This record gives sequence, structure tokens and C-alpha cells, in this order.
Amino acid sequence: MGQTQISTGNEGQVTIYCIDTDGDSHGGGQEMERESKNQKEKKTEKGGATRSRRRRSEERSEERSESSRDGRKDRRRGGKEGRRRGRQGKEEEIKKDRKNNKNEKAKKQLESNTNHSKSSSSSSSSEEEEEGEKEKVGDEEFVVGSLSPEELERLKEAVDERKKLITTLRGKPWPMRKKLPTLRESQLFVEKYEGALGKGRGRKLYAYKVMMRKKWMKFERDLENFKTACIPWEMKIKEIESHFGSSVASYFIFLRWMYGINMILFSLTFGLVMVPEALMGRPYGSIPRKTVPREEQASAMDFAVLWDWGGYAKYSVLFYGYYNNQRAVGWLKFRMPLSYFLVGVGTVAYSYMVVIRTMARNAKEDGGGDDTSFNFSWKIFTSWDYLIGNPETADNKFASITTSFKEAIVEEQESRKDDNIHLTRFLRVLANFLVLCCLAGSGYLIYFVVRRSQKFALEGLDNYGWWERNEVNMVMSLLGMFCPMLFDVISALENYHPRIALQWQLGRIFALFLGNLYTFIIALMDQINLKRAEEEIVKFNMTAWQANLYNGTIPENSTAPPITVDPADVPRGPCWETMVGQEFVRLIISDTMTTYITLLIGDFLRAVLVRFLNHCWCWDLEYGFPSYSEFDVSGNVLGLIFNQGMIWMGAFYAPCLPALNLLRLHVSMYLQCWAVMCCNVPQERVFKASGSNNFYMAMLLVILFLSTLPAIYTIVSIPPSFDCGPFSGKSRMFDVIQETLESDFPAWFGKVFSYASNPGLVLPFLLLMVLAIYYLHSTSKTYKHANLELKKKLQAQSEENKKKNKLAAQKAANDLEQAKIMAAAEQQEKEEKQTNNNASRRGEERVIAIAF
Amino acid sequence: MGSRASSLLREEDIEEIKKETGFSHSQITRLYSRFHSLDKGENGALSREDFQRIPELAINPLGDRIINAFFPEGEDQVNFRGFMRTLAHFRPVEDNEKNKDPTAEPLNSRNNKLLFAFRLYDLDRDDKISRDELLQVLRMMVGVNISDEQLGSIADRTIQEADTNGDMSISFSEFIKVLEKVDVEQKMSIRFLH
Repeated sequence: MGQTQISTGNEGQVTIYCIDTDGDSHGGGQEMERESKNQKEKKTEKGGATRSRRRRSEERSEERSESSRDGRKDRRRGGKEGRRRGRQGKEEEIKKDRKNNKNEKAKKQLESNTNHSKSSSSSSSSEEEEEGEKEKVGDEEFVVGSLSPEELERLKEAVDERKKLITTLRGKPWPMRKKLPTLRESQLFVEKYEGALGKGRGRKLYAYKVMMRKKWMKFERDLENFKTACIPWEMKIKEIESHFGSSVASYFIFLRWMYGINMILFSLTFGLVMVPEALMGRPYGSIPRKTVPREEQASAMDFAVLWDWGGYAKYSVLFYGYYNNQRAVGWLKFRMPLSYFLVGVGTVAYSYMVVIRTMARNAKEDGGGDDTSFNFSWKIFTSWDYLIGNPETADNKFASITTSFKEAIVEEQESRKDDNIHLTRFLRVLANFLVLCCLAGSGYLIYFVVRRSQKFALEGLDNYGWWERNEVNMVMSLLGMFCPMLFDVISALENYHPRIALQWQLGRIFALFLGNLYTFIIALMDQINLKRAEEEIVKFNMTAWQANLYNGTIPENSTAPPITVDPADVPRGPCWETMVGQEFVRLIISDTMTTYITLLIGDFLRAVLVRFLNHCWCWDLEYGFPSYSEFDVSGNVLGLIFNQGMIWMGAFYAPCLPALNLLRLHVSMYLQCWAVMCCNVPQERVFKASGSNNFYMAMLLVILFLSTLPAIYTIVSIPPSFDCGPFSGKSRMFDVIQETLESDFPAWFGKVFSYASNPGLVLPFLLLMVLAIYYLHSTSKTYKHANLELKKKLQAQSEENKKKNKLAAQKAANDLEQAKIMAAAEQQEKEEKQTNNNASRRGEERVIAIAF
Repeated sequence: MGSRASSLLREEDIEEIKKETGFSHSQITRLYSRFHSLDKGENGALSREDFQRIPELAINPLGDRIINAFFPEGEDQVNFRGFMRTLAHFRPVEDNEKNKDPTAEPLNSRNNKLLFAFRLYDLDRDDKISRDELLQVLRMMVGVNISDEQLGSIADRTIQEADTNGDMSISFSEFIKVLEKVDVEQKMSIRFLH
């Protein structure tokens, strides 16, 4: 590290740099900016090289596929996981290697420093002196605007020098505490005087332009960063994607999408139903439906009651029963019942719209294009990700490439194999039979349990323990946990292609959940009927009570309002709507709890045990039996979908459901992200996520439809309770529309509406719509067919070409060979003619034999 | 190191490299310092071992092939000029230079990028990827997880797909055809820092 070298080096650079900036000073500005950003980052970390390399890789990865983040992310995690998998030796080796790379600069820096101090103190001091001199040159005050050409020249040189210094600062063998102030000072200097270097008169304008360009670039870059930062959980999901592949990431993306939808549902119900009622409606305790009854008041604040959503929670804005049937509330004259009804309909309509739109978009994305024609070639030539720099990730990539090849081979074989079709058929029928048995059994079990719980409810829950009270939810959760495992075992009989098997499995779990849900709903219907019978009795008693009240207390003044009675003492109906809402809320809560507990026990505890017991166990726990759990994408997606179905179903009777769900999804996001990263291992079976995406969506649509059915049924066909909820006193809930039409709109509008809703007009319209759908469907089918035909034709053409070429090539080769043989034969013939005639005949025969 | 590194780089060299590869001045100096830090032997040229110290290349199943691509045939040292010439394949295509100089094809054109990729697979440099070469590459990519027979069938299928003239190997033109729909300009580009 000679002192002289450095100084000459600096001189050389200066000259080079001058030329460069003369040619293109804009470039210089940009360059500087980028550099300075790099340098700023460097401040935070001593091993500057690592950071800058990381940044470099970051920049690259922005351009390329997201999976390229693997390398960077893995670097951080690699150590932990690598050890977990028991590959310490390799890991350490790589680590050492990496460390070498990282710190090589820092080391050299150190070395050079020691060299300096060893060789002579004078040299280092002289170096510093020189630097100081340079700074002095720079620090001379230049008055912009009044510069002679020489001064300008000098200024230019100084600025260039500074720029050069900034670019090369990293490599300088100085200690950090010297680098930083130098850097800062140089940056300031360049910033200040660079603008003054413009030519001739437009100096100020030029300076301004340079400044604005810099500012603009910075702004643009910040905006980009900001945009990425604005997408919620983007980094988390990317991190997971880099470790677990796109299929696991697709679950989290789905979760995020769901969160977005629930956000809208929540803001609708919260903003248009709950807040207006809470702020503008009558306060708590003013009317019977808003008051806790006298007999419940003692225990209304107990945690056990509140946890069960009774007591104060039941008589609050969270449930249907609390809402008043007052037509307009507050100074805004807010139409509360109408709003309640429209929000209920609107949430469902919005969900339909979003789901269908997303499905259509997905279909557009994966439709069309002959991407399959070079399937294998693409796999070979383009599958490796060249930015992977971490052994762990590389292993994963190896595995996924192998899997994709295996999958391709399986597909090839699948299309050809036809072994013992009768046995396979029999096994498949048997498997389906078994699954049906399971489904029927679980359905019956739930029905039985629900019936039993009704009996318990009639007799009063206080006599029973915790299990009896939570039996229904527990049984449902347990079934949801164990039946899928059973199905998995059964599906081994069927011998399907893995992807098809996965879809069957999903379909079966779907059927199970659906069956459970519907059994639950049917039981709920029974309960509703019971409550309504009870309500009739209460109604009858009510009149008697009222008569009694008037007779007893104020016998002579019958017009006086019963205001003297405390609202808590008024007898009231059972309010089946609130009961339904409560049931759904309880179901959601228990479902959430089960999910989290299984997550903690099944994933976290297992991982902890496997990790720490492995040191003192007979066999290898990590590779052997328990191992770490994999992330179960299909199960989680189904859970999410059913959860959403319950929200759609129950939101009408419990406006708090979307809020609860939002909370649940939010917690899920963090908890599951954490659980995946800390206790799961990547899947063995990697399947493409994009294909199954629309499958999930289709299931969501089915669930949406099935969950709106019962809700609509109850709204349309069951009369609302007489003394609770926004629709009390009406014979049907949708009467609120008619009422609004009559009283809030002009008469002609009502007339037009009634004409329009005439069956004579509605039916033809429906018919027309069906026809249109049919027409569009058949056209799209035709197009698809035509597309397929064309594709086939193209394939056939290329094959034919191939054959033709092959034939031609063969023919040419044959011709060539024949010609050669003939030539050889002729020559031989000539030679042999001179000696022996017989021999020539033999030779000819030989030639003929070869030729054929 | 940067200062010393760029001090060894003469101005004329930079100009020539600039002309040849299209890199900007500062990119060249930056890459030179990188080159220098890779150069453990400090002799102004890189050996294969120097490349193998880069983790991305050490892990890559085709790493050896990529490293090979840096070296001219028969040599096991590469100087800075050669280094830059190879790296120039990965320079992103910029909009303004597309129609600048139609006569001389720059190193980072689509064709040259593809040719670079093609050479990775063409082990014996006969401008054809044969079945054996494919098998070797496949073996590198999947390790020992798949049987020879299956790999053979994959190689056969690949050739069957890509081969149009019936010579049972993939020529460069066929290779181009296969990757026609792949965005090579973007995928085979590294955004070098300015």
C-alpha cells in the first residue's frame, strides 16, 4: 500500500473524470446521486461491501422475478434453518466463505491501516496533510455568478475531484470516522457548486434544472418505494414466497384479498348501521329492547356471560335485536331500518360482484396461448434461477425442478397408461362409497348433537358443564379436523394423478364442511320455529300483562302511557334474530380458537419438541416420524372460505360479524406468517398455484350462493319478531322498501315501481336474460373449440414439416451413401477388371447387397 | 481498493472498452474494482477458482458452464477486457440505442444473449445441442433423484419438441424458436449500477 500509488491514482482519476463530465454532466449528476445513496447506506453498517452488494441484488431483483429475493432473504435466515436440518458442516463452510467475501474489503482496509501505522507515522500524516490541502482548495469560497474562466476551471476541477472522491471513498484505506465526515463534506460541496458549472449565460437556469432533475428522480424513486410499502404485508408475503414457493404464498395473497373484501363489508355495516344507531338512535335503557331484563341484570356483566355473548353484549349495537323500528333517527333523519336492509343486501351484492369479477379476470389471464408446446424445453432451459446465492434455497430449487420433471413424467405416463381398469374403477367406487359414509355419519352426528343441545337449552344451561354447553361447536371443529385425514387415507385407494387427487380431496372436504354447515342451519331453523312458538305465548301474555298493568296501577286514566314501568321489567319475546346472530358469532369465535390452538399445538409445539428433543432421542426426529409440519394450503384455504360463508350468512343478524372477522383475519395474517416461517418446512409436493386459484374462487362463489340462500329465506319468509329489531311491527322484513316508496318518494315513482315489479314484466325480463346468457355461453364455447382446432392444426403442421424434413434428410443421406458405394464399387471394378473377370462379377453382387 | 484499482486502468483502455461493450465510464470503473476484488492472485487476470468463490456461481448447477463462458478457448485466465466482453451480454437493452447503429450488432442484442445461453448447453461447441449434452445438463440440474431412464425420456421429449429439421439435435435456430416467447431481453439483463 504505497503512499505514492494513492496520490498518482488520484491524479489519474481526476483527469479521466474531467473528460467524462465534460461530455455528459447530466450523467455525472445522476451517478453522484446514486452513489451518494449507496454511501449513505454504508454509514449504517461497517461491512459496507455487504450492504452495497445486497443493494445491487435488490436492484436486479426488482427487474426479475420475485423469487430472486430468495438469495437475499435466505442469507438472513439460512443459518437458523440450515442448522435445524442438520447440515452444519456445509453450512458453516459456506458461511465462512460468505464471510470472507463480505469482509474482504473491511479486512484489507484494516490491513492497510496497520501497514500504514507500521511503515511510518509520517507517511500517514503526510497523506492526511495532502487530503487537508485538497479540502482547502475545495473550501475556498466561490462566488457563483462572478467567475472568471480560470476560476470556473478551478471550480470545475474541484467539483470533479469531489465527485471522484465520493465514488472511490469506499475503497480508501481510511478509518470510518474519517470517511464519514469527508463524504458528507464532499457531498455538500458538490451539491452547492455543481449547478454553477453551466455554460455561458443560462447558468442559473441550468443550476435550477440540474437541481430539479435530481429532486424529481429522488421523488420518483421514493414514490416507487412508497408504492411497494403501501401494499399491505407485501414484504412478508414475498419472504414466504421465497421460502415456500408460490402455492403457500397464494394462500396468503388470498387471505389479503379476503381482508380487503371484509374491510369493505365492515365499513358498510359499521358506517351505515352501527354508528348511526349508536350515535343518533335512542340511548341504552330507554326502551325495553335496549335494556337488559331485570332477571338477567345481576349476571349481565359477568365474564362468563359476556364471553357467551349474553348480558350487555346481547343488548347492544352488536346484535339485531337492539335496533329500533323508528323510521328516521337523529337530526339527519337517517332512515335506519331502510339502511339496515339495504346494507344487508348491499354486502351480499358487493361480494358477488367482486368474486365474479375476480374470476373473470383470472380466467382471462390463464386462457389462450399455446404455452404448452415447448413444455420440456422451457423446463430445461429456463428453470434455474440464476440469482440464488444461498445453499438452502438452492436445495429447494433443485427439489422443485426435480418435482416439476417428475410431474411432467407422471403426466406423460398418465396419458398412456391403462392398466387393469376394472380394479381401479372398483377401488374408486369403493373410495367414494366410504367417503359418502363418512359424510353421512358426520352429518348425523352433528344433527344429533344439535338436537341434544336444544334439549339442554330448554332445560336451562346452568345445570350442565362446559362440554354440554360447547358440544356443538366442539364436535364441528373436531370433525373438521379429523375427517380430512380420513379422506386422505381413503384417497390413497384411488390412484389418481396428484393434481386431480388434490381437487377430489378439496371437493370432499368442501362437501363435509358444507354438510356440517347445513345441518347446523337446519337445526337453527328448528330453533327459530321453537322461538316463534314461544313468542306467540309471550305476545298473549303481554296483552294480559298490559291489561293487568292498567287495571292495577292507573285504573281510571287509561290513556296514560305505561312510562311508569321500568323498561327492564317489561316482558319481551325471545327475539329469534338475535339468537341466530349469537349462534353465528359463537361459531366464528370457536372456529377461530380451534384454528389458533391447532396452529400452536400442531405446528409450534411439534416444531419445538422435534427441534429440542432431537438431541436425546433414539431416532432422528427431524427426518424420521414426527418431522416438521408442512403448511396445508388446501385446508387453510377451505377454512378461510367457510369462515367467510358464515360471515355472509350471519352478518344480517349480527352487524358485528364483519368487524370480528376483520380482527380474526388480521391476527391470522401475523400469526400464520410467523408460524409458517418459524415452524413449517417447504412442501415436498410443489404444484403450480396459478391453476388452482380459480378453483378456490369457484368454491368461494358456491359458498357465497349457498350462504345467501338461508339468509334470503329467513328474510323473505319468516316474519320478524314483534318487539325487537329494526323491522318489528312489520309482517315481512322487505316491507321496509314499500314503506319508503310510499312515504319518501312521489306517488308516480311508486306506481312505476309497482308496474315494474309486476310478474308479467319480470318474467319476460328473466327469460330474456337467460336467453342472453345461453347465447353468450354457446358463442364462447364455439370460440374455444375453434381455438383448440387451430392449435391442433398448427401442431399437425409442424409435425408434418418435421417428418418431411426428416425424410428428406434421410433420403439425402441414403443418396450420399449410395453414391459413395457406387464410386467405391466402380473403382474396385476397374481395378479388378484388369485382373479377373469373375471377381468383378462377385464385386457387383457385393455392392448390390450393400445397397439393399 | 477502488482508487488503486482504477489507477491501473488507463484512459485509452476505458475508451476502447466503452466502444466495444457500451458500458458507461463509471460502470467500467465500478466493474473494474469488482474485478479487482475477485482477483485474489493480484495478477490482473481471473482464474476459474476466482469465479468459483462467488456463491451464486458456486451453487448454480450450470455454474461451471457459466464460468467457462468467460474464458476463451484453451485458456484459463481472463483479463479485464475479456471479463467486460462477457458481462456486456447482460447489459440491458436501452431504448435509445436500438436504432442507433444498425450495422454493428451490439453484444447485448437478443441474438447474442441467446447465443450466450445456447453456448452454456452446447458443451462441445459444435453449434448443436445433442441428446448427450442435454442429458449431462439434466444430470447437473436434478442430481441423483431421477433415474437415467426417466432423464433419457425427458431429453428425448425435449429434442422431439424443439427439433424441426429432424437431425435429433437442437441447433441455434431451433433454440431461438423455442425461446421465442420468453422475454430474453429482460430476463438476461443485469441492471449494472451507474
